Amino acid sequence: MRNNNSITGRIDWILVILLISLVLMGMATLYSAAFNQNYPNIFDISQLYGKQLIWIGISLFFGFIVYLIDSDIYKKFAIPIYGVILFLLVIVLFMPAVNGARAWLGIGSLGIQPAEFAKIAAALVLAKFISESNLKVQNNRVVLLAFSIILIPMILILLQPDAGTFVVFTSFLFVLYREGITFDPIILNITNSFPGVKFKQTWVGTHFIPISLIIIVLAIFTILLSRLAVSFVFLPSFEISGFVFITVVLSVIGFIGFFVVQQYSSKRDRSNLTSAIILGYILSLTITFTVHFGFSSLASHQKERIEFFLGMREDPDGEDYNRNRAMAAVGSGGINGKGYKNASVSSVRANHVPESETDFIFCPFAEEWGFLGSLILISIYTAVLIRIVFIAERQRSVFNRVYAYCVVMIIFYHVAINIGMNIGFAPVIGIPLPFFSYGGSSILSFTIMMFILLKLDSQRMDVLR
Amino acid sequence: MNTESRKYVIIVFIFLVGISYVIRLFYMQILDESWMLRAQEIAEKRKEITPNRGAIFDRNNKQIVSNKVYYNLMFVEDKLHNFDANAFAKMLGWTKEQVLARFEEIKKGEGTYYNRHSKKRTSNYLKSRAYPFLKELTLDEILKIAPFLDKFPGFYEEATSMRSYPFANGANILGYLSEVTGEEIKKDRFYKPANNIGRTGLERYYEKELRGRKGIKYVVASAMNNTIQPYANGKYDTVSKPGANLILGIDISLQAYCEKLMQNKKGCIVSIEPSSGEILSFVSAPSFDPNLLIGKRNISQNYPKLNKDPNLPLYPRPLASEYPPGSIFKLVQGLVGMQEGVITENTGFPCNKSMVGCHGHAMATDIPKAVQYSCNPYFYYVMKKIIQQGKKKNTFADAEIGLAKWVKYMNSFGLGIKLQTDITGIKKGLIPGPAFYDKWYGHHNWQFNSIQSISIGQGEVKLTPLQMANIAVIIANKGWFYTPHFVKSISGKGPLERLKIKNYTMVESKYFPAVIEGMRRVVNEPGGTANSAKLTDIIIAGKTGTVQNPHGKDHSVFIAFAPLDNPKIAIAVFIENSGFGGTWAAPTASLVIEKYLTGKITNESKEKRIIDAKLSNIEIERE
Repeated sequence: MRNNNSITGRIDWILVILLISLVLMGMATLYSAAFNQNYPNIFDISQLYGKQLIWIGISLFFGFIVYLIDSDIYKKFAIPIYGVILFLLVIVLFMPAVNGARAWLGIGSLGIQPAEFAKIAAALVLAKFISESNLKVQNNRVVLLAFSIILIPMILILLQPDAGTFVVFTSFLFVLYREGITFDPIILNITNSFPGVKFKQTWVGTHFIPISLIIIVLAIFTILLSRLAVSFVFLPSFEISGFVFITVVLSVIGFIGFFVVQQYSSKRDRSNLTSAIILGYILSLTITFTVHFGFSSLASHQKERIEFFLGMREDPDGEDYNRNRAMAAVGSGGINGKGYKNASVSSVRANHVPESETDFIFCPFAEEWGFLGSLILISIYTAVLIRIVFIAERQRSVFNRVYAYCVVMIIFYHVAINIGMNIGFAPVIGIPLPFFSYGGSSILSFTIMMFILLKLDSQRMDVLR
Repeated sequence: MNTESRKYVIIVFIFLVGISYVIRLFYMQILDESWMLRAQEIAEKRKEITPNRGAIFDRNNKQIVSNKVYYNLMFVEDKLHNFDANAFAKMLGWTKEQVLARFEEIKKGEGTYYNRHSKKRTSNYLKSRAYPFLKELTLDEILKIAPFLDKFPGFYEEATSMRSYPFANGANILGYLSEVTGEEIKKDRFYKPANNIGRTGLERYYEKELRGRKGIKYVVASAMNNTIQPYANGKYDTVSKPGANLILGIDISLQAYCEKLMQNKKGCIVSIEPSSGEILSFVSAPSFDPNLLIGKRNISQNYPKLNKDPNLPLYPRPLASEYPPGSIFKLVQGLVGMQEGVITENTGFPCNKSMVGCHGHAMATDIPKAVQYSCNPYFYYVMKKIIQQGKKKNTFADAEIGLAKWVKYMNSFGLGIKLQTDITGIKKGLIPGPAFYDKWYGHHNWQFNSIQSISIGQGEVKLTPLQMANIAVIIANKGWFYTPHFVKSISGKGPLERLKIKNYTMVESKYFPAVIEGMRRVVNEPGGTANSAKLTDIIIAGKTGTVQNPHGKDHSVFIAFAPLDNPKIAIAVFIENSGFGGTWAAPTASLVIEKYLTGKITNESKEKRIIDAKLSNIEIERE
């Protein structure tokens, strides 16, 4: 008999300890950033830190209840939960707007954001769907259904509008990729409709994640280089445009790849690899050309938006107010930081960095603890993510694994975008830093999400019974 | 299809993002300084606490410079609500246009700055910041406005301090304050726009002591520019230190009395306590009321007038006017002659009027008599013996050696060099040396006969009245002096170190009594040139001078010290264009001495004569 009489018996303590340390660091940072000398008590519920403690308490309470529920219920009730959340997402659109977004479902002063919980619901349904589908035989139906599960809440969230959570939903694409969902059926339908084309499979549909990453990186480089003229140290007077430069670099890589393949690959792989390289080369060039000429044909205000996003344009007191000040706060931290409670730029009362208690909570942390603190925080988040990947891979049920991967990618998106906003790597779209930012919905939804994962993980052996 | 290996894509992706973020943070937080500067620009504000400027007291602890509270009428544009410009103008007795124009003037006055991030030029004027609408209002002026200010929210009064001079005397000693220039702000980070700096006199010389040390409070400011909390719990704050109080050697009542004596005259009185070198009074006539140059309003109104006045009231004559000393110079020559051994105190010379004019007197058979009669030919002989000592056969070369030596003697008396007195604007006078005459006549082309007039303090020789007074000090002390100075104590710690050093002249003290005896006779014996300075109870030793003035009436000079056996005061009086030294300068000096030593005047008719005298046609203000 497995250790079922002990609730804590098989809980993943490594993950729990990492999460508790995040919550403590977040609480300490909030207490410092939002510190009010007149109300120094951390339990003072008139202050942000007191409220946050209440939310942590509520979250732990719900988390505990979640942990008591048998894990089977999630698979059983995934679709009803999803339905309720979709319903709430519709209801919320009829609520009065707060800060220009209809995101809040108010119960007195305690408002919650259904969008935060939609992520959990979508993860559960996606897990259920994939675990019950036969992915060996993929057809349009499976792909489209999987896609719709993600797309419906996304559209509702975009209507609020909540760009941040909308973007977070694209994290599920990574999960689909991990589970082997391929867009080939759809793509083949299109390509094979051309006369004379008869593909059996495309790389694009199957490896859509690496390919889209390559596309994004190429596109960003193309735009970044579009304005520049590249000159060489060894040829000082010789200048070429950035666009020509990137084309030349791609061609050189293509040639080298081609000759390496011809020279060293086994006969069996040669033709495949050769065609892959030729295809990749043509594809890259196409992307570069498209982005380059597409970008230059954009209207100037659209170009500006993109240039802001890529940091090619500055307007510290206007468009870029938040990010510029956030970066100043982070950058002024130095190696050791300014010391606890000494954040001069990003304390909430100073109000130099708006939202420094929620979306920009990384600012006061990085300002007070400097590079070493930032390094530790990023390490902890990375450790959390890797630990959950590890947990995901040890699951015996597909449902559990898919759900775990959903959690990995949701948290990864939140962390990457949130910290990215603070260091100029991501556009300013308001999403909280998990377990760190002030905010009831955020802490509650992430806690529940985690407890479901911990529960699933603790009962992973039950599948054998 | 087995997709388990795809977990590596995800793991690698997570790691890549983590590493790139860490690299980025390393760059932002450690390598790139610009974010640090940007953060300082945004949040950390230095708040300066300007200490009170030190006060100034006279030798009897009477406060002669103090700080008086004035009021600025301040406003913060953001806090103006329903501002009624008409009513406001009416309250001030202005027109509405004047009020609006003043607002514009303030905005323009703040200038603009160039934002290199946004590449835009914006005004420094901030609506959230306080600016003075009216500056330097007196209590009476602000009392007319203050009761109505609650009708104009956003306006409020703010006290500032400015100098105040309870005695209207000593303007040339004290100097004045005025607003710092851009150059000065650049040079010294102590100053901020609208700060005051000592412009002349002691205010300038002791600027660093008087201004104190600014305290700096680092505060963290919010986006609205309101102070919110001390930065780092005040770890980097410095406490402000009030400016040092100065105690002067000046006796302000004596100063006032001297100024009164010098009314309607041009010239100087400098009196010094010989034992300490402390300057007791220091008059440059005509002078001005220091209260005329307080604050921007007064300065802009009065300074141009004073500056254009042909009588130069702003000019500190005792330091900066270089006059031929006349006969008082003979005292020094007698001393040098004895020290050099070319004469003794009993050496006599005939009054040979063929060399230089003299007045009728008995032959000077020794130094005291020569001094008493102020015999011109006598000191010609003395000077000739000093200059032409016969050390070289070539008289030109001989004169060169003699004059070079003589210059050293003069310098040891503080002549021809800048006295290190604690005030700016000191001139060194002129003691012509070999180089001077080489330039004038050519090398080895001059000897005593060419330069003889310097022996009686005429010709090329020039002294400042301060140097003349210092000669009296040296003789009173029999051969040494402390550098004459104004400040006897800086916040109770004594004068500057270098003013505590005794300077010895090259003449030994044993040679002085003969000269002093001569000076006693000048005042106290019949036939002396300064009998008009004689007092019944106090023995004054003095020497007159009458400086030939090619441009007009002779200048009247007198140096003296008293009492004879225990000198408490040494004095030089120089009255331009008034005639004989014995007629004007000597009685004036005696009044000062009597006033200082006894506090009263016995001979009131003498006092009245001096006060009422309108000597040296003070020029009426012209265009």
